[in-house]
Amino acid sequence: MDLPTELGDEAADSPARIEVSVSHADEVALVEALRAGDQAAFELLIDRHATAMLRVARMYVSTAEAAEDVVQEAWLGVVRGVDRFEGRSSLKTWIFRILANRARTHGSRDGRTVPFSTLRADGDDQATRSVEPGRFKLDGRWAGYWAVPPALLPEDRVLGLELRATLDAMIDGLPARQRAVITLRDIEGFTAIEACEVLGLSDANQRVLLHRARCRVRAQLEALVGDGGPRQ
Amino acid sequence: MNGPLLRCVDFVELVTEWMDGELDDATRSEIEEHLVICADCTVFVSQLRLTRRALGDLHEQNMSSVLRDRLLEAFSAWTARGSD
Repeated sequence: MDLPTELGDEAADSPARIEVSVSHADEVALVEALRAGDQAAFELLIDRHATAMLRVARMYVSTAEAAEDVVQEAWLGVVRGVDRFEGRSSLKTWIFRILANRARTHGSRDGRTVPFSTLRADGDDQATRSVEPGRFKLDGRWAGYWAVPPALLPEDRVLGLELRATLDAMIDGLPARQRAVITLRDIEGFTAIEACEVLGLSDANQRVLLHRARCRVRAQLEALVGDGGPRQ
Repeated sequence: MNGPLLRCVDFVELVTEWMDGELDDATRSEIEEHLVICADCTVFVSQLRLTRRALGDLHEQNMSSVLRDRLLEAFSAWTARGSD
């Protein structure tokens, strides 16, 4: 996670290797390039963020097409507004704030009201447990301790390239608000404060949604690649 | 810690807050003491850490080429207009 991300040299030629966390110097360079109308800078930014933006937009609008429209509008807002970007927040926070504003406007036209209605529409947001209750002993002296303990996950497989598409699908399969929060926090590397600000969530809500989302992905990974099933 | 021990079923609900450093000192100690004695919850934490790492590694390369082209077109139109 700590690879340097200098924009100037060969890094710009290989966007796939550029990490999510960007140093301040990179950001200044990117903003300057974008102001100058540099298409390479624009491409780098859309490759880095547009998929996550689609996911976040889906918290507010009901169709994939509407989400694409929102993302396009947001990028137009970014290139139009970049002259006014003052660097008080990080560039990505600024971009996602524009996105969330466009998505909210779109979402209200779309007849989809958020975020409270989705709390119910999301179903599982209401579940009170992040891990399936059947995994724990129900009674006896050890009630509340693991009955079916978590399986070891093989690190090389979980981090391997073959699972990338599956992980993408797992994120896409999450309830909308969980998907938006985990996308910002774990994929885009936002802090809790930044994620709350962009999504208009309370800190407590944000944390619950993040935990639920991580636990769901965890459970799916365990079912998929867990080492030889439950350990005894 | 002399009181009733934290149970695994409660432990698992606190892991994200613990990883984010959001817990009060007393609860944090309970979590850390539980980890010393509970190999299963230690595995659970390692699963969540690994999940987070895997997500952090996700490259945003599955945007449809249609959308990518659309965005690039909009960008070209914008810069062309700006330079007129």
